[in-house]
Amino acid sequence: MEKITDFLRHSEVFAGLPEAKIEQIVSIGHTATFSAGETIISAGEPSDDLYLVQQGMVEVLVASGGIVDTPGLPEMQPVVQLGQGQVFGEMALVDQGARSATIRAITEPTVLFVVPRAAFWALCEADHHIGFIVMRNIACDLSFKLRHRNLSL
Amino acid sequence: MVYKVSYVVIGRSHPGAILNQEAPPRLGEVMELGGRKYRIVEVTDLMPPRGDFAYLHVALRPLAEAEEI
Repeated sequence: MEKITDFLRHSEVFAGLPEAKIEQIVSIGHTATFSAGETIISAGEPSDDLYLVQQGMVEVLVASGGIVDTPGLPEMQPVVQLGQGQVFGEMALVDQGARSATIRAITEPTVLFVVPRAAFWALCEADHHIGFIVMRNIACDLSFKLRHRNLSL
Repeated sequence: MVYKVSYVVIGRSHPGAILNQEAPPRLGEVMELGGRKYRIVEVTDLMPPRGDFAYLHVALRPLAEAEEI
């Protein structure tokens, strides 16, 4: 418990939250462990959770332009790797759409802290100041990723 | 301070990475990514620092095999 609390306290997405709120987030989330090569989420699937990389590294893969009328799934290309402290699943958390990318564990083990969307939204709705802090942090993370992507093109 | 770093590999031999680290990356340093070594050839601010976080962009060039020895 202490280890996860400490991890979340130093994570960007929950930066600036009071201790009691960090503990609330610990209570609504859980850890999940994946093996190298294991798919964590798949593009196009419905989405419910926010993920933080607690240990290890994951790879983000997107479809590299499927060809119309060509059978078979489009080839998935890695676009970035995310290390400890990084968050993913935040796009679907904000827009409630399907997963925009496939995420695969690339280290053994990869440990994630998983926050269910419904409980997370309830927490933000109950305290709008907390909701503002977290949403601002998520916006900052999305901005960082967009700037990274722009430089990668 | 936590340094959140956007690593972009010149030539795209690696998809790049976003990593949090305790020490800032330095120009000329060699780092390993995905089992291969790269030299840091550019370090810039990606966004202004906020709270305990600094946001950096790093360009990496694959080390030539002769350099790796």
